[in-house]
Amino acid sequence: MTWDTLVTNSPTFILGIPLLFAFLTALSGRFSKKIGDTLFFIALIATAFFVSLMSYEVLTGESWFYVFGAEQPSPENIRSFFRITFAADGFAVLATITIMITAVAAGIYSYGFMKFETGLNKFYTLFLLTLAGVNGMVLTGDLFNLFVWFEVTSVASCALVAFKNYRGESVEAALKYMILSTVGGLVILFSIGLLYGQHGVLNYALLREGITGSFIDKLALGLVMVILAMKASSVPMHMWAPDAYGEAPGSVTPFIAITSLGSLFVLFRLLFSVFSLTVVSGSILIILGTLSMIIGVSMALVQSDLKRLIAYLSVSQVGYMMMAVGVGLATLNTGDYDSFGELAMQGGLFHMINDGVYKALLFLSAVAVVHVTDIRSLNDLGGLAHKMPYVTFFFLLGALSIAGIPPLSGFSSKLLIYKSVYLYSPILAIVALVVSIITLAIIGKAFFNAFLGPDQGLVKRRVSKTMLLGMGILTVALVLFTLFPNIVVTEVVTPAIDALTETFEGVIP
Amino acid sequence: MIDIVLKDMWSPIIFISIVLLNLLIVYWLYKMGNSDYKKTKHSGEPFISGNRPPGDVRRVHVAGDNLFWGFRDALKQYFDPLIKGHTGSINDYMYWIVITLAVVLVYIYMVV
Amino acid sequence: MSWESFVMMMPYITVVILMAIGLYTVLFKKNLIKIIMGIAIMQNGANLFLVSLAYRRGYIAPIFTSAESTDMVMPTPHALTLTSIVIGLATTALMLSLTMMIKKHYDSINTEDMRRCKE
Repeated sequence: MTWDTLVTNSPTFILGIPLLFAFLTALSGRFSKKIGDTLFFIALIATAFFVSLMSYEVLTGESWFYVFGAEQPSPENIRSFFRITFAADGFAVLATITIMITAVAAGIYSYGFMKFETGLNKFYTLFLLTLAGVNGMVLTGDLFNLFVWFEVTSVASCALVAFKNYRGESVEAALKYMILSTVGGLVILFSIGLLYGQHGVLNYALLREGITGSFIDKLALGLVMVILAMKASSVPMHMWAPDAYGEAPGSVTPFIAITSLGSLFVLFRLLFSVFSLTVVSGSILIILGTLSMIIGVSMALVQSDLKRLIAYLSVSQVGYMMMAVGVGLATLNTGDYDSFGELAMQGGLFHMINDGVYKALLFLSAVAVVHVTDIRSLNDLGGLAHKMPYVTFFFLLGALSIAGIPPLSGFSSKLLIYKSVYLYSPILAIVALVVSIITLAIIGKAFFNAFLGPDQGLVKRRVSKTMLLGMGILTVALVLFTLFPNIVVTEVVTPAIDALTETFEGVIP
Repeated sequence: MIDIVLKDMWSPIIFISIVLLNLLIVYWLYKMGNSDYKKTKHSGEPFISGNRPPGDVRRVHVAGDNLFWGFRDALKQYFDPLIKGHTGSINDYMYWIVITLAVVLVYIYMVV
Repeated sequence: MSWESFVMMMPYITVVILMAIGLYTVLFKKNLIKIIMGIAIMQNGANLFLVSLAYRRGYIAPIFTSAESTDMVMPTPHALTLTSIVIGLATTALMLSLTMMIKKHYDSINTEDMRRCKE
């Protein structure tokens, strides 16, 4: 097998390796715990390797469409229907990189964090299945596959939330998430049926040619958009998110958050590449995004539970991305797109990759606090900086980044968002700024309560080395994004925007 | 192409170097001060207005709910319905999805 | 509306009725088992919708070997329906097992009691 074959087939490996190893780790439980651990890390590293292979090829060479299926099924004229297309383009690269950074960090962190749990090989199975599902969602080029990967992600991530099934709250959060995801999957299936009945195709590119904005098209757009926004934890459908993030096993909390970020990636892909009704969908995104920012940050203000506080902040961060990309979408194909629409897209998509990193760092360091003290309420925490200097540093980095304090990476993307959204509508930019300031106040309160003050002797156990390593990986990524935002924007984010705004060519002639 | 890019707006390298420069100046000023400070038995202990705070020092700590209490109290009319709206019941979660679905569909069909 | 077109519309009317029943159950019933049953009804509605979309009068199943007619239906909706049925089995099983655990922890399957995570 030559190098080129590996590169061309990398989308298959990105999905195939986690799927294969998911079932291998499930089997390995019969033999020994060591085998499960080893297989899990092999799978993670191999998937990360193929993601970087695909990214390198797309970013330096050109994007391609990976096609499953026979070369020449008869009859000739309908052969594209029999094929499954995977798009290895700039947007898929941005999404898979975001997912993989968090997945690797959360996986390594899990090794130290879950040491005292039983049935870890099943945990690895669920983790790898979720990874395959999210990557499949962002890579796929037709609606049939989207539905399948959507459901794989739902089932696996809900089971992951309920992994600590000796806690009632975990099961409750998982069941709520599961019911919402299942109903959401059904609604997506229904709208796929609508689109198929109308146009007779499921491929994104062929579908785009057919969509004109008829009654059925608009119905399908509304249904798909609301359900994917629900999975992305947008207000007013965000209530499952704090439950699930708060009650999931600590080490996978950022990974559950990444599945909702993956849904947001899919939503953007569909709105740009399939539904060409840009103005209406852009305005809906702006409204939902603004609501998410305001309500998310307001609810974070009244929280006293550390994990739920960060969960609500992440809801408000999702609002920034929806608003910025909504501005880009609403101005697409107009003169405004050149003056500020593309800038808004840059800000929104750069904020997504930033958010994936600093949110994960914040969640993992908060989980480390809960892990060593067994206390989640901010009323009882205090003085941890004396005993946990590293975790304090990691939390501070994530906190300053989520609040958009210069020079951290959160500031770079938020600056792009403020600047461009101000040109679209000054009120939105003011809302974004005010939300950012309140975020600083809230995260300052969390930091003050948990880490500052006299030592209260709350530390019960140590933070293991693998947990620090997991947070260290995220810190390295965060520092890189902080120091070189221009390079990330021009080299990674701009190809993603090009892939979105240019016509999606997912059919092999 | 777009008129403004991130490179023209902001450079983290320059920002960080200026911060480091400022730190150097601060350190230089600090070094210029007199070094006749003597550590006494009580230095480093917590105090309020020069006196020891009453009771157990470790418990005199402003806890989570106390911060922004005034903010919450002043905007009670805004926060109370919001908190009450997060009921935690799965029926209400579904209810919100159906409402959003209805509003979005009405918006798509009627407004635009 | 003629009788003929009414008969052709019949599956779609059934789909709407099934979806409405399922949605009503999920929205207004407090019993978890009933909610899961409502979701199963909605699943069947969606499957029926796909199958009735694929139906063409006089067309045969798309099996290429020794086919007599070229009038074949597209197999995509059938494949989608089969996938959806399998996924439906998995999701229903997972939800029911989570309900069992809820019963064990909370000693109730009422959604009003399942509100420890809130605000």
